[in-house]
Amino acid sequence: MRRFTYHEPDSLTGAIALLEENGAKAKLLAGGTDLIIEIKQEAKTPDHLVSLRSVPGLQDMEYSNRELSFGAMVTHRMIEKSELIREKFSLLSDAVDNLGSVQVRNVATIGGNLCSAAPSADTAAPVMALQATLVVKGPAGERRIPIEDFFKGPGKTALEPAEILCCISIPALPEGAASCYIKHARRKAMDLPLLGIAVIIVPDDNIVCREARIALTLAGPIPFRATKAEAFVTGKPLSRQIWEQAGEIAVSESNPRTSFRTTAEYRKKMICALIPRAAEVALQRINRAWMKG
Amino acid sequence: MDERVMAMKISFNLNGEDVSINIDDHITLLEMLRDSFELYGAKEGCGYGECGSCTVIVDDMAINSCLMLAVSVNGRTVVTVEGLAGPRGELDPLQQAFVDRGAVQCGFCTPGMIMSAKALLKEKSNPGEEEIRKGMAGNLCRCTGYSKIVEAIKCASEGGCSCGKGF
Amino acid sequence: MAKVFEPTIKAMEFINIGKRVPKLDAWDKVQGKTMYIHDVKLPRMLHGKILWSKYPHARIVSIDTSKAEQLPGVRAVITGYNTPEIRCGFIKDNPVLKKDKVRQYRDEVAAVAADTLEIAEKAVKLIDVAYEELPAVFDPEEAMQEGAPLIHEDKGSNVLKLPWKMICGDVEEGRKQADYIVEETFRLPFVTHCCLGTSGCVAQFDAKGNLTVYSPTQIRFLAHKDFQEAMKALGLKDKTVKVIQTAIGGGFGSKLDTYPFEFITIMLAYYSGRAVKLVYTREEEFFASPGRQPVRAKISQGCTREGKLTFRDIEMILDNGAYTSWGATTPSVMMMPISSLYQVPNIRYVAKCVHTNNIYSTAMRGYGNPQATFAIESQIDTLAEKAGFDPWQFRMINRNRPGEVTPQKFEITSCGMKECLEAVKEKLQWDEKRGKSNGRGVGIASLIHVGGGARIYKSDGCGTILKLDDFGKASLLSSASDMGQGSDTILAMIVAEELGLNVEDVTVIMKDTDLEIWDAGAHASRSTFVAGNSALYAARKAKEEILEFAATMLKEPKENLYLRDRKVFSCNNPEATMDIDKLLRAAHFRTNGRQIVVSEFYDPPTVMLDREMKGNFSAAYTYGVHGVEVEVDQETGQIKILKYIIAMDVGRALNPMAVEGQLEGGGAMGLGYSLMEELHLEKGKLLNGNFLDYKILTFPDMPNIDSVIVETIDEKGPFGAKGIGEPPLVGSAPAIANAVWDAVGVRIRSLPITPEKIVAALEEKQRSNS
Repeated sequence: MRRFTYHEPDSLTGAIALLEENGAKAKLLAGGTDLIIEIKQEAKTPDHLVSLRSVPGLQDMEYSNRELSFGAMVTHRMIEKSELIREKFSLLSDAVDNLGSVQVRNVATIGGNLCSAAPSADTAAPVMALQATLVVKGPAGERRIPIEDFFKGPGKTALEPAEILCCISIPALPEGAASCYIKHARRKAMDLPLLGIAVIIVPDDNIVCREARIALTLAGPIPFRATKAEAFVTGKPLSRQIWEQAGEIAVSESNPRTSFRTTAEYRKKMICALIPRAAEVALQRINRAWMKG
Repeated sequence: MDERVMAMKISFNLNGEDVSINIDDHITLLEMLRDSFELYGAKEGCGYGECGSCTVIVDDMAINSCLMLAVSVNGRTVVTVEGLAGPRGELDPLQQAFVDRGAVQCGFCTPGMIMSAKALLKEKSNPGEEEIRKGMAGNLCRCTGYSKIVEAIKCASEGGCSCGKGF
Repeated sequence: MAKVFEPTIKAMEFINIGKRVPKLDAWDKVQGKTMYIHDVKLPRMLHGKILWSKYPHARIVSIDTSKAEQLPGVRAVITGYNTPEIRCGFIKDNPVLKKDKVRQYRDEVAAVAADTLEIAEKAVKLIDVAYEELPAVFDPEEAMQEGAPLIHEDKGSNVLKLPWKMICGDVEEGRKQADYIVEETFRLPFVTHCCLGTSGCVAQFDAKGNLTVYSPTQIRFLAHKDFQEAMKALGLKDKTVKVIQTAIGGGFGSKLDTYPFEFITIMLAYYSGRAVKLVYTREEEFFASPGRQPVRAKISQGCTREGKLTFRDIEMILDNGAYTSWGATTPSVMMMPISSLYQVPNIRYVAKCVHTNNIYSTAMRGYGNPQATFAIESQIDTLAEKAGFDPWQFRMINRNRPGEVTPQKFEITSCGMKECLEAVKEKLQWDEKRGKSNGRGVGIASLIHVGGGARIYKSDGCGTILKLDDFGKASLLSSASDMGQGSDTILAMIVAEELGLNVEDVTVIMKDTDLEIWDAGAHASRSTFVAGNSALYAARKAKEEILEFAATMLKEPKENLYLRDRKVFSCNNPEATMDIDKLLRAAHFRTNGRQIVVSEFYDPPTVMLDREMKGNFSAAYTYGVHGVEVEVDQETGQIKILKYIIAMDVGRALNPMAVEGQLEGGGAMGLGYSLMEELHLEKGKLLNGNFLDYKILTFPDMPNIDSVIVETIDEKGPFGAKGIGEPPLVGSAPAIANAVWDAVGVRIRSLPITPEKIVAALEEKQRSNS
């Protein structure tokens, strides 16, 4: 591997200062499961790595005042093991359950997953559907970025130079909400999704959909909310037929690509097939079923 | 980047022994274990964290040592496959189960498999088959088709094995 | 779990044979003590690195190595221009360092040896190569067209001059006799071995100029010959070569040939005067190791109203890639299922191997058989259905039988095809589950493979040297190669059985061409049969000597004596007994005494294929049947394997645990080939050279395989055993394709059977229905 200088600052200010000092030649190191590969492939050639390992507080996880907040260095494994998240934000558990391997989940962080901004990032769709706010700190101080403004393109985010994602905060879901994330992949493990679908449904006494959120990854260059499909199902009966139509609407909002991994056409078909399926699984989780007819 | 040596002194616990070493910043944990400590058990099967052959245990967690920088184990505890057997080479029950149940063929993936399984059993003493398969998903094997590895892990777990196949 | 059928010949009571004996080297392997090529370290050893071509087809205008040479720590820089020409491959069309032009992305253009790998990597980047791109061709059918760019100008054509044609009976007559005929085209992808241990070697010359190569090769004696020939080119023809086989981190056919990197390492060692190690990265392993040949197969078969096959007619085009390795000879093995899977009187088979600018191909487990069997066995279902037969019944009608001689003149000794078919039918609950068309389906596929060696070379032999020491321990120097399949253990069991020893008493050595006799290599599923017989006959020779001496010691007739539990016993006289170690010492420490050392060279009773590609080239044939139950998600096209049964006629299971290991591992490789594996090349360039995008099955993807061991006790096999290394992957793909057809009524004629293909086929079906 190409040589670099490793820094392990013990404060966020220290980390920001190192990033400022070394500019484009510095990269932030979280779990390293993406970055080390990129350095080995020489896709990235940083001269300085600034590790966040010794910055205090970045591995904290807290749920209070109906808000879940966790540090950017929280690993996927910590999320996977959190009973609270499994209960209250099950789609996030779905996303980390089958991400990479145990070895990867033990070190890969949620902050890294989001900041890499890979179109295939598993946590992106759930975090979008959860309407997360990202707390970032930089030379100019702290600011909060709504998740929908965060992804700017494959590998590109709204982070300014020397800004560091510190914390992800997620508001609790409305009472009675149900959620599910489906990772559609070729293998059951160690795979990237061909399509990621996150669905949150807030049913109204089992008949009408009061609120719906649908977020997709790999249905376009960046993760997005299928807002037209969401609008379509809102206020309508929770029936398979309605959600099948929602799938078709979501396809019209999508712009997937063809690669050797799969075709755009197949991805579109899967958007149609899997949006109703994700909704169905979500409903099952709150012991509900489709409305007949 | 120039060629100046950027060795950093780190100290950590390796297979039960406190060790210190000067190591270059860009050296991976796998490279350090093999080149500096001559521990050849962990293998580089891919270098990208996609095969698990380099799996070792850091602070009770299975990790891919090919993706971890050596400097980042400073102050931590590292266990490799060489750290499992007893002082006179007595096999760990998990290793013995791999031997007895035919879980080893070419053997290149085996040390990584065993370290993943070790971490898995530490976390869950009596995993079911599905849990074993999920927990071991990061370790590829091209020889065995995995069944005999699953069986070996089961045999070494708290519940023991029900395969009933005597030696 | 395994079910062992009653053998047809009643077994004598064995001590070791038939037991679940753990692999002898497993103790070291679980402790990480085994030395693979990656772990070899010699004093002052240098590290080699190859510079690969950046174009699929280009003229080399110039190579400037001056910057690389000046880099401190660089000890040798070689190109085709500053080294003698060495060519590899069986028709020697692959110069190990390319001169004048490159023909594929992975061509070796230059190489460096340096003090560290880091320096070597840096140095190859400093080599400037100027190329002039040439028009390239990536499709074998296009490459056959007039005016297509020629890959090798000197050959005059992209079609290889290889004799892949076989005619048995009269296909036209067979067509006339047929009441039903089906014709289809099948496509098989380019896939690769994915050994967990990447390729590599270490080369070192001694002070006299003799060469030692450390290599995880499957063919150390054939490699020895290739390296010895290369010595001539280096002006060292009187010097010796020694190949030391390190532990093999997976073989599967990938290490059945010698490749440019090995000769490059030898040259780097020669020019630097130091030991040189060159090991592939995973990325290199993917793009630089040849894989399994892609095939397009046009096939038709016909049968009578009674369900008897009347003919089989197959034309194939194989993408050979830029150079020729064993991949180009796979049609010789494809002929086996084509001629001899089921009783088919009239057969025509023609295959063309065509050069393209793609990566070239080599041997891979099954050696062409999986491709041919996918086409044959998929179509058998279609034909059966067309003729109104249940596909299982159809197979029973046409099945092979013991004692038959097939149209290719194969002499079938033991044949457990009927037992395999019956076992799979029962386990699969075929009658209850077949034909429901409810998204779940069952499918089966039969297979044949060589099980008694294969006379590819004029000798199909294997040598053994067996030495008994003064303590009743045996050293078995076998020429076989253990790649993990467990030959070491099988051979020790055979010798222990014959000599009345414990398996632990036998040390198996298979590593050094200086110590051992010749062997054709670990291929054609031949080790158990050929090396096994070699070890068995050596043990019998040793036994003769032991008993002869024991007869004089115990004053008992030799015929009455037998060896067991490390002792010699007499059948008649319970008093007459002696410990084996004592006996061996007595035989040694006396006037004119000696230690018992015997050697054996076993070459099976077979012939090479004749000009018509016929002849009994294996001493036994292995049969098997795969059965699967699948569930197809009709929305996503995903296939779930609900049940997977492999029934194999193994002759005798010498070590059932090792047999299961082959069945389970072969089944996993076969499932990967069926469902997921494919090297994606875009204009000759590999797009998915990593384990994330080249998908072999992971733990959760892999179902448990129900192994059914059928024993037929082959008359020629060691203790009745036949080889089973390759066949467990042969039947996977057609069994799955047939199950998918049963589940959802679509026929997928190309591998892998992806969800995309199933969804598209279901839509097509819906369109044509409406």
